Amino acid sequence: MGRVDFSDVKHETRAFAGVTVPVSVVPRFKRQTYPTRFLFSLKSLIDGMRLTFGYLVRPSKVVTRQYPENRATLKFPERYRASLKFKFDENGYQHCNGCGSCERACPNGSIILNTRKGEITGRNEIERYIWRMDSCVLCNACVEACAFGALEMSHEFENAVYDRRLLVYTLNRYAGPTANVLLKEENLEARAAMMTKLDTYGGPVPMNGHALPTVRALGSPRDEAKPDGKGAAS
Amino acid sequence: MTYLTLAATQGAFKTVTVSERTAQAFADGSWILALVYILAAVGALGALVTVVGLVLIYAERKIAAHFQCRLGPMRVGWHGILQTVADAIKLLLKEDVIPERADKAMHLLAPFLSMMATVMILGVLPYSPILQIVDLNIGVLYVTAISGFGVMGILLGGWSSNNKWSMVGAMRAGAQIISYEISATLALLVVVLFSGSMSLAEIVQSQDAGWWVWRAHGVGLVAFIIFVIAVTAEINRTPFDIPEGESELAAGFHTEYSGLRFSFFFLAEFINMFVVSAMAITLFLGGWMPFHIGTGGAFNGAMDLIPPVLWFFGKTSAVVFLIMWFRWTFPRLRVDQLMYLEWKVLLPIGFVNLFAAAVVVLYNLYPFPIIVP
Repeated sequence: MGRVDFSDVKHETRAFAGVTVPVSVVPRFKRQTYPTRFLFSLKSLIDGMRLTFGYLVRPSKVVTRQYPENRATLKFPERYRASLKFKFDENGYQHCNGCGSCERACPNGSIILNTRKGEITGRNEIERYIWRMDSCVLCNACVEACAFGALEMSHEFENAVYDRRLLVYTLNRYAGPTANVLLKEENLEARAAMMTKLDTYGGPVPMNGHALPTVRALGSPRDEAKPDGKGAAS
Repeated sequence: MTYLTLAATQGAFKTVTVSERTAQAFADGSWILALVYILAAVGALGALVTVVGLVLIYAERKIAAHFQCRLGPMRVGWHGILQTVADAIKLLLKEDVIPERADKAMHLLAPFLSMMATVMILGVLPYSPILQIVDLNIGVLYVTAISGFGVMGILLGGWSSNNKWSMVGAMRAGAQIISYEISATLALLVVVLFSGSMSLAEIVQSQDAGWWVWRAHGVGLVAFIIFVIAVTAEINRTPFDIPEGESELAAGFHTEYSGLRFSFFFLAEFINMFVVSAMAITLFLGGWMPFHIGTGGAFNGAMDLIPPVLWFFGKTSAVVFLIMWFRWTFPRLRVDQLMYLEWKVLLPIGFVNLFAAAVVVLYNLYPFPIIVP
């Protein structure tokens, strides 16, 4: 038993085979004498006891939440992850342009992204963004992969449902272009024409591994589910 | 130079044990009164076991929770106060499984041995001058012998379960308890030397002029520390819980026990914690004696107003809290570290300490007179 004193590390340069390199000289491992070791271990025990006693006498340090009772006043840690959400701006417009980085980043195919060619804009845009909560592991890879800040992990954790099919969500509220494109169009009616309204469960959903239009069952070939449901049996 | 001393309190407290009362009643020819005393003593012991068990288990869970930034039981009753009762009912109603290949008779006997060793010590503890069931003139020896009896239950339970975890746990428990008993006994002998008696009631009376933990000039303090460490190991509590280390041995010697029999082991463990704390305070912290500074004065008078039984249970709770504090702070020792601590650290210190105590007593090197009633 002993300790290396890192406060005594010396930084210097030495020549190795004609090359001068900077080196850090760490002092030798020193074996402590018995009384030092004894006092050191005693001190560490007392430190530990002081720490736990500090927790005992300060109830404000308690991290347990009394969940159903404090439902109204729940506070979440900043990086708490419970379910995937789209970010919408103040007009309710999304930032997703359907690039597919999240779909590629997803480790188990929980994100299925369908895109379409916008009739008015003529550009590629999102049609349906399907998130399968039943297979999602909440790893946050999609949020990190998104270059446009369109996704976030929300704190909504009360996701229990009575039917597995209800765990397949459509995250976008409309099929259509991003907020940037929409805001360039001043006319509100013209904007509305670019968008097709969707609801959370509007799309087709899987059940017990059966493939359904646009949603691929886990483990089935990728071609089975294609946009607009034409590729799959219906 | 001033010392912390206790005022003479002997006049106020005259020791009368329940067994003495019973003997007196027999001598007076009052059989019914004697019977009442016997039944009251048995009933009180049963009630003590139940109450101490329930309170300590609840306290352990709550204190452990707050040591770890948790809340502990909160649902059953106010702040989960009835949680232990609910758990006890659950344990009583559970199926009592005996493994097919187990040695049945021994498997059934083991928890009772463990429990009995604990309850038998409760009978000799002086709770207050008038609240002691029997005062043996060899009380200290009796306690040491009977607490060694508890390891029989553990060994038997582990052996008869016919399970490798139980077996290893029981063997570890045997090695540990028997090793640490030496240190505990050496520490306890220091007090016997100072008080000149082995009767627990007389040891308490001898601390009339000051508790042994500080009146014995450092020797007592060292003995107290050794005693607390050794008894923590003897009752298999963390950091010395290798006999039932969950991460290595499932549950150690009680892996194969369920229902009522498991609860017997569990209860014995918690009552043991109470018993060793009570022994520690009886020997070193003045038992039921009130805390005094100097002699006379308003402070000492106020301390005298608190009844002895409250002093006893208050001091015991303090030591119990200390043991719980150890458990929720320190990590478990390895088997070799455990043996190192006992044979290479505690035992030599204990011997030197006992020798020093003998010298102090023999040559009367301390300023306080020893009172042996």
